[in-house]
Amino acid sequence: METSFAITGKDYIIVAADTTAARSIVKMKTDDDKIKVVSPHLLMSYSGEPGDTIQFSEFVERNLRLFHIRNNYSLRPSAAASWIRRSLAQSLRSRKPYSVNLMLSGYDVTTDTPHLFWIDYLGTMTEVPFGAHGYGSYFALSLLDRYHNPEATLEEGIETLKRCIDEVAKRLIVSPGKYIVKVVDKDGTRVIEI
Amino acid sequence: MNSLANRFSTTGPINELRRAKSVLEDDEFTDSAWGSEAGFGSLAKGVPNFTVPSVPDPSAFLRLHTDDYADPSCRIKIQHGTTTLAFRFQGGVIVAVDSRATAGSYVASGTVKKVIEINPYLLGTMAGGAADCQYWETYLGIHCRLHELRNHERISVSAASKYLSNLVYSYKGMGLSMGTMICGWDKTGPAVFYVDSDGTRLKGDIFSVGSGSTFAYGVLDQGYRWDLTDEEAQELGRRSIYAAGHRDAFSGNTCNLYHVKEDGWKFIGNYDISKLHYDGPGETPGAGYGYDVRVERSAAIAVQA
Amino acid sequence: MSIMEYNGGSVIAMVGKDCVAIASDLRLGNQALGISSNFQKIFPVTDRIYLGLPGLATDVTTLREVFRFRVNMYTIKEEREIEPETFAHLVSSTLYERRFGPYFIEPVMAGLSKVATGGFKPFIAATDLIGCLNFAKDFVVAGTASSKLYGAAEGLWEPDLEPEQLFETISQTMLNAVDRDAYSGWGVVVHVIEKDKITTRTLKGRMD
Repeated sequence: METSFAITGKDYIIVAADTTAARSIVKMKTDDDKIKVVSPHLLMSYSGEPGDTIQFSEFVERNLRLFHIRNNYSLRPSAAASWIRRSLAQSLRSRKPYSVNLMLSGYDVTTDTPHLFWIDYLGTMTEVPFGAHGYGSYFALSLLDRYHNPEATLEEGIETLKRCIDEVAKRLIVSPGKYIVKVVDKDGTRVIEI
Repeated sequence: MNSLANRFSTTGPINELRRAKSVLEDDEFTDSAWGSEAGFGSLAKGVPNFTVPSVPDPSAFLRLHTDDYADPSCRIKIQHGTTTLAFRFQGGVIVAVDSRATAGSYVASGTVKKVIEINPYLLGTMAGGAADCQYWETYLGIHCRLHELRNHERISVSAASKYLSNLVYSYKGMGLSMGTMICGWDKTGPAVFYVDSDGTRLKGDIFSVGSGSTFAYGVLDQGYRWDLTDEEAQELGRRSIYAAGHRDAFSGNTCNLYHVKEDGWKFIGNYDISKLHYDGPGETPGAGYGYDVRVERSAAIAVQA
Repeated sequence: MSIMEYNGGSVIAMVGKDCVAIASDLRLGNQALGISSNFQKIFPVTDRIYLGLPGLATDVTTLREVFRFRVNMYTIKEEREIEPETFAHLVSSTLYERRFGPYFIEPVMAGLSKVATGGFKPFIAATDLIGCLNFAKDFVVAGTASSKLYGAAEGLWEPDLEPEQLFETISQTMLNAVDRDAYSGWGVVVHVIEKDKITTRTLKGRMD
């Protein structure tokens, strides 16, 4: 089952998403990247209905890019989150809604603060210190209540993330195999190996 | 095919109905009808018997009126939300449960006893149908005592749990609902068995059952080691139940904690989950398990340093 | 599964002597799973009107944006602040616009309205999810704990409470009602509106 985690730290956010693309009972791909870099300091992890996920994430990516071209600056994380949420909320009451769950992780370069937004396919949005989507959230959230430290260094943050991944691997029946992990901080975004 | 199987099976609902009827026809006024034997009077015949609705398929009839998952407006609501856990470690067995009972979104009670004290060496936990667990685990207690009297030896946890498992299995398909852990100490040392109304019986080190079990597992697995001290183990049990009480809407209110050692079980305490959130198990304000409380505490320490 | 119970949450408003109070819980859930303990459902509309939006969380945010826009347009066009009675009708007609595909929200409003003599009069109102207005003289409730709130409020409320007493009454009503509701809780926020000040307090509620 699709699972993703995101945790904020002192001056960064780590995002992890599983890499399986499943169709029926078959794993079609095991290195699928479900974390999109939507602007220089903004990561969007997505899961949900196949097709919708790609279409919607690219729609977001292009619109944020268009904003950047027109105005010569990028939207800050909270503004981007509001725009994305509204797109989903409008889509919900259309003929064919996007069925996509998101976590938007952004580093606000103007205030030097990390921001994490939890957004579901209905357009429900809330800012959280850590978040999870999918069945993994039922194991990871209690664990993060216990171990997450908003002042942790990147190394400590990765350790906490590993706990989540291990726990889901241990307890979830159809646990995802591999994860892709990305970090966003003042220097932008990058993939890290765990 | 099904009806053919039913006719010859000894455990099916139809057979159960037949058995119940034959006992009832035997004598119309059993002692249990007068409540003189606490509802267990029927044991004199060796098999407990229950009156069943006189419809062609009693279990389907019951399911129609009790399955609130399929039909939330059904008339009879059986308690569902729960978090219970039990784990084995070097110092014995820790049993911890919450105390919330919900009917739909209504918190019907916050003071439910979900640990059933079967005898001084055996504990059972309660998840699913409250009455089912209570009745059958008490019934198990009677048989554990009979075993003791007959054999001059305490029943093993394995045997006790097998007894319960066989018993509920004979009612499979009739709508019994229980997910329980039978915990105790016998010749083999500390033991935990998971028994449910499907007939599953598992021996293991760590179990958690109920709607909040995933949250409890999250904390329990990460903090678990075989060589935990008694205090560490009790703290882990409490924290895990707190975690589930916090995140799961259908678990909470208080945590009941038991510790089973070689000389039988001991009740450690009853902890208010909201107090655990803000103040922790002791009496120190601000020493709570809550995420915000914990973060605030470490921020205050950072300021001091 | 009911849409109105999907995210959980409850709001109550009460009338006092020359003051009103409005309170809500802070939980955002996904059915049984709690997601956030800091999800605001009450928003200031003007200096003297607060609006509570319990129901489906996506519509909480959407309607907040809609009302902010419409109230701002009203203020610009009329060159004055909107009055609570007018605002109540704005809420009602905004919801009725979606009669056949409603927002899953049952708004609760609390405010002080200007009277001809120059003073202020307490005002509370609530509507159902398609805009049927309910003006009450004592208290209004909405959300997953509404039935429990009615019980608690019927027992605790009395007429002409001073601001501090009103705060105590609404706080106890809310705290005790949400403790009996699985989908509400995780903290409570209370706003008391008086003619020259607004007091906002976040209460320590049960976190389970």
